Amino acid sequence: MTEEEKRLILKTVAQINESVKSDIRIMEVCGTHTHQITRFGIRKLLTPKIHLVSGPGCPVCVTEPGYIDALIALLTQKNVVVATFGDLLRVRGSSGSLEEQKVAGKKVITVYSPEDVLALAKSHKEENFVFAAVGFETTAPLYAALIQMARKEGIQNLFLLTSLKRMEPAIRFILWDSKVNIDGMLCPGHVAVITGIGPFLPITVKYHIPAVICGFESMDIIFSISILCRQIAGENPIQFMNTYRRCVSDDGNPAALHLIKEVFRISDVSWRGIGWIKDSALTLNSRYEEYDAFKRFGLEMESTPAIFLDGCECGKILIGEKTPNMCVNFGCLCTPDHPLGPCMTSSEGACAAYYRYGGSEN
Amino acid sequence: MCLAIPAKVMRINHAHAEVDIMGVRKQINTLLIDHLNVGDKVMVHAGFAINKINEEDFNFLRDTLQNMLGNSP
Ligand code: SF4
Repeated sequence: MTEEEKRLILKTVAQINESVKSDIRIMEVCGTHTHQITRFGIRKLLTPKIHLVSGPGCPVCVTEPGYIDALIALLTQKNVVVATFGDLLRVRGSSGSLEEQKVAGKKVITVYSPEDVLALAKSHKEENFVFAAVGFETTAPLYAALIQMARKEGIQNLFLLTSLKRMEPAIRFILWDSKVNIDGMLCPGHVAVITGIGPFLPITVKYHIPAVICGFESMDIIFSISILCRQIAGENPIQFMNTYRRCVSDDGNPAALHLIKEVFRISDVSWRGIGWIKDSALTLNSRYEEYDAFKRFGLEMESTPAIFLDGCECGKILIGEKTPNMCVNFGCLCTPDHPLGPCMTSSEGACAAYYRYGGSEN
Repeated sequence: MCLAIPAKVMRINHAHAEVDIMGVRKQINTLLIDHLNVGDKVMVHAGFAINKINEEDFNFLRDTLQNMLGNSP
């Protein structure tokens, strides 16, 4: 960061702090924002009147234990390898985690890119590779591309077990169904890279809450918070803003959106700690069902609600009702080495971010 | 998990490209991007380029902040 940028940030912070007269709650929907806000110490710079609360945008945190159980059940089948991004390894289902399975010698591999699995499937025809397809719209087109490549190359030993979620229904749920009190929203920049601004416009138009699509540098975040504060205070009219224009165009990425539409369909799914949200899932559509691991291996997702251990507050943290330090376990019984809940297990979870960077909530 | 990082395209090879990510060379998939050229900047998420970026637009942030604050130090 240049000296000029530092000066601008500090000046903007001073101006924000001076202008905010009463308590306000701003939700950062995305787990990466939670991480960055805590890493940059932004909460500590701002007046205690501004409460930055986390949202449901940490895909690993909102993945139901029944999904982890389904992945573990796959490992009991012959010639099945489960491939995943590293984030999911330590998340617990009701019968343990993929990490424990791996340590016990089961075939669990972690990859950097979905495409890595394509090469493995080609060179190990005797194994069936199941990719744990977790994520939001940012990641969904990558899985869609993988499946299209598999089809093009005639690969028949590669499948997806999908737990893909859509952001817009989750935002609707928070602002409308849950009635959690939110005065402004920082919208997830990298979801918007794919979707464009369309899914986020209802926040201002329908719910009349200031909203900004925000990047991930400290200047992006401070600038966006200052815009929100001005609108919340009534200094400026409520108007949707995109401060991440260097990455996010109004229409998003048309090629990626086309792929999502080609391969997936919209359905309902349960979010860990939150419950069922209508139209919030992307699952393989009938044209691609031969790649659906649920169908190929006869798996069911148990819809049992997550049982949160000993007072874990993840469910409330994920909709901005509570902050990590309101949980009695935070930092004592629950730490990144011994996580009790998904918000501490995932590095993008609010609890892990607060623990790591000392994000004392004001 | 939705993290994406900027990279510079060094070489293009059909649906893949070699990019420079903070000094490290990596192969990425470019299926999601139309009309990619050597020298373009892209955001990379889990081994795929997910869009092209316009670095000049970062100045938009700085300029707007300057305007909001006035130009005095
Ligand atoms: S600190 Fe641990 S137990 Fe408490 S809410 Fe966070 S993850 Fe759950």
